[in-house]
Amino acid sequence: MSTTVDQGGRERRTPRGTLFALVSHTNRMQARSVIIWGAALGLYSAAMVASFTAIEGSADQLNQLMEAYPKGMLEAFGVTDLGDPANYLHSQFFGLAPLALSFFTILALAGALAGAEERGTIDVLLGNPLPRWQLVVGNFLATSFSLLGICAVVGLLIWGTAVLVDVELSLRHITDGVLNLWPICTVFGALALLCSALFHRRALAISIPAFLLFGMYLIDAVGRASEDLEDWRPASVFYYYGSAIEKGIDWMHFGGITLMALALVLLAALAFQRRDIYT
Amino acid sequence: MSLAIETLKLTKAYGRKARGIEGVDLAVEEGEVFGFLGPNGAGKTTTVRTLLGFLRPTGGRGEVFGLDIGKESVEIRARVGNLPGEFALEDKMTGEGLLKYFAGLRGVKDLGYARELSERLGAELHRPMRRLSRGNKQKIGLVQAMFHRPPLLMLDEPTGGLDPLVQEEFLDIIEEVKAEGRTVFFSSHNLAEVERVCDRVGIIRGGRLAAVETTETLIDKSLRHVVLTFEGGVDPKPFQDLSGIRDLKGDGNRISFTLYDDLDEMVKLAARHRLVNMEYERPSLEEVFLTYYERENGEG
Repeated sequence: MSTTVDQGGRERRTPRGTLFALVSHTNRMQARSVIIWGAALGLYSAAMVASFTAIEGSADQLNQLMEAYPKGMLEAFGVTDLGDPANYLHSQFFGLAPLALSFFTILALAGALAGAEERGTIDVLLGNPLPRWQLVVGNFLATSFSLLGICAVVGLLIWGTAVLVDVELSLRHITDGVLNLWPICTVFGALALLCSALFHRRALAISIPAFLLFGMYLIDAVGRASEDLEDWRPASVFYYYGSAIEKGIDWMHFGGITLMALALVLLAALAFQRRDIYT
Repeated sequence: MSLAIETLKLTKAYGRKARGIEGVDLAVEEGEVFGFLGPNGAGKTTTVRTLLGFLRPTGGRGEVFGLDIGKESVEIRARVGNLPGEFALEDKMTGEGLLKYFAGLRGVKDLGYARELSERLGAELHRPMRRLSRGNKQKIGLVQAMFHRPPLLMLDEPTGGLDPLVQEEFLDIIEEVKAEGRTVFFSSHNLAEVERVCDRVGIIRGGRLAAVETTETLIDKSLRHVVLTFEGGVDPKPFQDLSGIRDLKGDGNRISFTLYDDLDEMVKLAARHRLVNMEYERPSLEEVFLTYYERENGEG
């Protein structure tokens, strides 16, 4: 345990020690959610992998059928070749997964500050020698770790199913696919944290990031389908998300989105440091 | 003796909607038990939350153990055990889980004292918060405030929801804390417990500190409800003429009134008749406030 002794001879935990205690406690509290989210999304994605075996034999006919669809619509949903299990899984799961999984981070981080204020639990917690910035950063770190846990559960269920039903998906591609979910979901969680720090209302800390999440998804999806709106796509974080299960992780975009999340956390810490705590 | 808490013109304004505190000058000495009294909305909780750095003061300054409340709130909170007025915890957590978590945050390795306090107060540590009554939650709130033996305890309505036996045990613990030379700053509506454990009291009204008195002085300054029963009928007029008598009612051989002055003249007057019974009732804390405030306003 990391401690220091103050002038009065009292032993005190170091800042690193309090941050560690906060993160490990938050992770323990989120463990159940990790299992539930991981199982729900993992079983859905596993079902998609299993369903690929049903269409695998008739992929050529399906692709011909797809050609009858407007090209823009197929591009909007990332459909290029349904005979390729990676593209099939991207169009059926990974393309949409951030819309669902971002709600894990949004709900968790909206509850960390504004939620704790509304429940009246924040005074008891901050009665401890815990700097405010640690409450922001610690919750972000813990939720990011939990998100990795969910991604791991989803990845294992996809891989296990692929092995079981003999679908050609490498562990490397699956890992890229699930890991690529992490930065985009983290950004919306960090935005919820910032809204929580700014407005101290849980409803706002959920609704603003949720609105932006769906708005950005639509901008990117419609931008892919329509040349008129294509110039808007870079304004959406989904533009930088790509299809890692097919093309591998674009580390430049991965790093950029992660930096964006960190910038939002920094702003949240600054905003929370300056304001009153409400109960 | 050095000061545990010192504020100079401490002010917290919330804007137009709600009143905060204004120009609070407070000095609490190390080792004393200080009662902070006032009606709801007077500014007690605002003062405590400002001292702990939860609220940013809009004026004045404050120190706890010589540490600035604005810049060194983490250092302050390391030395303070806090029980908020509305004690609430995550529903899923148990008392045991909470104490382990807070011990982790404070670097406390030995939970022996926490277990001793829990046993003495009868706190149920293994049930989730959502299944605990208000009183049982309050016990856990008290244990988490005290288990790390802080040099300063800040307790907002600590006995709210506790049954009389547990209240008694809690007051014993406060006396032990005082005997160890530690400081206690607490708000209460219970005059009996304030009288029992507090060395001094501060009265806050409308966000301003109205007075700081020793507990004895506060009680002495307050009113008494008196009922005199005589053997025969007595004329109430001479009692009415005494100074500090209000709400006098005469009913044959029985006279009742509220006495705001000292006893001497009243007792001497009563002794001129054959007195069968004298009831002398201590007021509620609310009445003490009202009396005190009226006097401050020059209405009494």
